[in-house]
Order: sequence, then C-alpha cells, then structure tokens
Amino acid sequence: MLMTNDAKKIDSATLSTHGKLSMFNEGLKSGLANGQKFTKLMDQLIDTNDGETLLAAAKELSDFKLDSAYVTFPHQYQNADYYLIFMSRLLGMHDDEHAILNTRAHSESLYHVFNELSDDYTFLYQVVDNDNGGAYYHEQTTGENLFYIHLERRLLRFNSTAFTNLFINKLLLKGVGVDQINTVLATLINFGHYLQDDFGFNVDFNILDVANAAKYELHEADLSGEVVDKLFVTAAKNDYMLQNSPHGHGAQIQLPGNLLIDIFDAGSAGTAKWVITVHDDDQRVSWFDVLLHFDFMRDWYLENIESLAIKADPLVFA
Amino acid sequence: MEKQSQPDLEQNEQDQPTRELTNSLQQKLDYLSTLRQAISAGDDRLIYELIDGDHYHQALLNEEPNPARNTQVNLITDVHPAISHYLSTKLIDYLAHEYPFFYYEETQLGEFQIYFGNWWDRRRFGKLNALKVAFEFSQEEFNKLQKTFELAASHKRFNTDAIQRISAANDQLQALIDAQGDRDQQKDKLRQQLKENGQRNSLFDSGRIKDERQQIIDQLTKLADQDEQANNAHATMKDNEAKILTLSKEDTILAYEKQAIEKSFKSFENFNERNRSLYVDYLTTLIGKAQVDADDE
Repeated sequence: MLMTNDAKKIDSATLSTHGKLSMFNEGLKSGLANGQKFTKLMDQLIDTNDGETLLAAAKELSDFKLDSAYVTFPHQYQNADYYLIFMSRLLGMHDDEHAILNTRAHSESLYHVFNELSDDYTFLYQVVDNDNGGAYYHEQTTGENLFYIHLERRLLRFNSTAFTNLFINKLLLKGVGVDQINTVLATLINFGHYLQDDFGFNVDFNILDVANAAKYELHEADLSGEVVDKLFVTAAKNDYMLQNSPHGHGAQIQLPGNLLIDIFDAGSAGTAKWVITVHDDDQRVSWFDVLLHFDFMRDWYLENIESLAIKADPLVFA
Repeated sequence: MEKQSQPDLEQNEQDQPTRELTNSLQQKLDYLSTLRQAISAGDDRLIYELIDGDHYHQALLNEEPNPARNTQVNLITDVHPAISHYLSTKLIDYLAHEYPFFYYEETQLGEFQIYFGNWWDRRRFGKLNALKVAFEFSQEEFNKLQKTFELAASHKRFNTDAIQRISAANDQLQALIDAQGDRDQQKDKLRQQLKENGQRNSLFDSGRIKDERQQIIDQLTKLADQDEQANNAHATMKDNEAKILTLSKEDTILAYEKQAIEKSFKSFENFNERNRSLYVDYLTTLIGKAQVDADDE
C-alpha cells in the first residue's frame, strides 16, 4: 500500500531510473544466486562421500555458466576441470591416489600427473565442442585422447590407438618399465570399473578388456593372409608355434601362463570380420597386456598396425 | 520258391557248364557274404584279405603270387569308396598313434586328404589309400621335404639360397636409392662438361672432341637408367619382401615337418622305411588284436 502511494509521487524519469536500478538489482541477485548455486555444487563435488551426489555435481558443473550479465567472477576453473576433479574424487573414494591432481601456478587450471611417469606427461579433459557433448581424457604432450566420457549418458569408451601410441610407442619403447606402465593403466582401468559398478556406466574397455569373451576387432576386417604368415614366421623364430585354428578360419598361439591367443574370422558368410581373442584361466589378461609382455607379438602388431589396429568406438574415435 | 526247395533234384538235372555256373555263382555269394559278415563283425583283417587276397598272402605270409586269390575282387570295385570309408576308422586310429603329425580330411566318401601338422597353413601332403594301407604323398611336397633333410647337413634350409639372393637384390636396390644424391652431383658435373665440350671448337681436334662428347652422353644415359631403377626400386623391394615372406614361411613349415618326423622316427630314412612296411605293420597289429580277442574268449 505504501509503495503505491510513493509511486504516485515519482515522476516518469525517476520511474525509469527505479526500473533500471531494480533490473540491475535483480540481475545481481540472480547472478549471486547462480554463484551460490555454483558454490553449493562445488561443496558437493569436493566434499560429498556419496557417489550419486558427486556425479550429479560433476554433471551440472561440467556445463555450468558461472558468469552472468551482471556478475562475473575473475577466478574460475574451466568446465573441463570438473571432470578431472570428479575423476580424482571417485578414485579417492576407492583409495586410488595414483592420479595426482595438480593446479597450475598463477592460474586456476588443473591437470593430472602420475608418479610413475615423468612430469612431461600431463593429463586433463578436453570438452567436446559439439552437440554430442562429453569430454576426452587427453595427454597434452602427445595429444592422445585415452578415453571418452559422457556423464549424462553414462558412457565411457577407451581408445586402443591412444593407448598403443602413448604407453607402448612413447613409454615402453623409450625404456619406461612395464610395472610403472601397469600402475597407470590399472588406475585408468579402475576408473572404468568404478563408473561401471557405482553408476552403471556403459564401458567399452576396448584393447584393455580382460574378459575372455572380448573380441578385439581388427581395422582390416578382411585380414590378408600375409599378416598371419608374418606372425607364423616370427613366432617360429621365437620358439612358438602358430597353429591352425581348430574352429573356423584362423590361427592360434599358445603363450606361457596358459595364454591362448586366437586370430580368426568371426564374420558371417560373405562378410569377413577378423578379430583377436585372448583366453586365460583367470580372465586377467587383455590384448594390451600381451603387447606389453611379449616382444615378438608387439613387434608384429606394430609392424602391421595398418591392418591390425584394434577398432575403437567409431562414433567418438573417428 | 518251389525249385529252391528241391536243390538236389535240380542239380542232378544240370549239365556240366550249368553246374560250373552255379558253383561259380555260389563262390561269389560266399565271397560277398563272407565280406558282409566281416564288416558286421568288425573283422578288418579279414576284409583286407578279401579285398586283395593275393597281396595279403604275399606280404604277410610270404607266399608266391597267385592271381587266383583275387578272382572275386572285381565284384566289389563299385563299393570300394564305402569299404575305404569303413576301414578308415580303425586305420586312422592306428595312424594317429604312429604318425601323430598327420591329419586327415575325408573330401568325399572314402577319399582322405593328408594334412601335415596342425600349424598355420600346414601343407596338403597327399592322400591316404585306406584299401591299400598306403600313403600316396604328393611328389612335389615330398621332394621338398627330402631336400630339406639333405640340406640340413650343411645347416641350410630349403630356401636359404633364394632368400639370400633376394635379400642381396634388395640391399642393392636400397644402395641405389641411397646413392641418388651422388648421382645428382655426378650428373651436374657431366652436364657442365658437356657444355664446355660444346663450346670448344677445333678444326684439327674435332674427332677427339666428338668422342669425348659421346663418352659424357653415355655416362649420363647410364646414370639416368640408374635413376629410373631407383624410382621403381620401392615397388620391387616390396615385391621381394613378399617373396621372402613366402619363402620363409615355406622354410618354417618344412622345419616343423622335419622336427615332427625326427620326433617320431628319429630320421627320414626310418620314416620312409616305416611307410614302406605300413601294410604289413598294420595288418600284423590287426592279426595280433584278433589273437588277443580270441584268447580272451
């Protein structure tokens, strides 16, 4: 009531000023509310011990716009950083502290390093800038995208090519020990398992899949016999025998540790689809493990990589 | 029906040729029914004796040849594939033990392809003749294996020389590619010489200058040829690598075959000897088995 009386006394010019002020104030309020919402999400992200709460916070923060027309914040992290915090928190909740979350000097930006690797290798997320959304876990020196994650759609896709390039070509072949590499791999693989087990993510472990049922699809679906011939010759030189596959068209090789590697055409009539499988009693060995441990298998794989490269999800790894 | 119930009467009425005919037909019936019984009873030894009695008696009983033993065998030529199929079961069981590196595929009834080994791209090594209990090796494949054993004495493999020759050719091509820079320098020098040669003009010495010019041109042509070879070298080298792979693969297969034979027979000679005595050896085990079975009863 009082308002209306007062309002009557204010002329049109003042009215417009009031309107402006009010608009400004509303703008501030909503900007501050946005900031407050942000800090609340941040609290969740860094402090919660509940998985779903953590994921919900990360999901919102990963495309949160903190600045508004009236309120901007000079100190901010990038959206990509929230993925990194989420990953570190999730690993931490499972007592895996191998991925060390560092912050760059003089700026708010985060990255991972691993004690087992030199600081030359830094890992962070790169948000995908198109309608698909999601983000890649990216190693900066080599530019390799190790996996793709989409929090909303709850999916994770590992990328065989990036793992081969980084962990074999750049690290193993330059003298980094298999144990060190395995520690880093274990953390990344565990991250996939936690997403799968805690949140029901759809995870494609790709070349890292240890399940006996995993069929690693080869880039050259209709593999030329020459490539298999090469394995036959090199295996013999290393005192292993590449045998004729007992089922269907293909070959198999028995390696120490009761490992059985099959390479065969798993396609249907008329459409070849050559795959590799790795069979071991405890389902603890992936094709990537074979590459890490058996030099002649690795040499063969790398020398024929155009044919043998394991296919990753083509939707996110073109 | 009525006639059969009075055989004596009928026989008495027959003349000599008819009696011979009925005898002969009876012998055929006996032969066939014995064979049928042998198959029902699983008496493979007897089947072998029936399908080629002359060979059986010579090989196992050291008797003189006598074609009369095989009078009836033509009765069953049309069912040879089926008999072969039947006999193969026990024979292949036996062979699996004696020749653990041979594998068989029945490509059509009673026809058996031999595969040597269970390694990648193992070779088809010929056929198994189950009726004769004999390997019929592919001559070409067998010769390669024989050569492999011969070469082993000089620590060579079947394709060692060929691989060396092709590798050397590839080394040469690589050298040709590597020498491109040198050739480019030489060509520049020769072209300069050619230019100088063209500027010289002598009434008295024109023959010599002409000769010199020709020499330079010849050298340039030779270098151009080498350039072209170098340009094509990559394709040739790739072809050569494919050839080397094929040869290495064959060497690997032959090495496995040689190892397999040495493991089971110690030597290639023993292997061949065993192959020659396969019929006798197999039939002897069948006889031995029959003996054991009889003793058990």
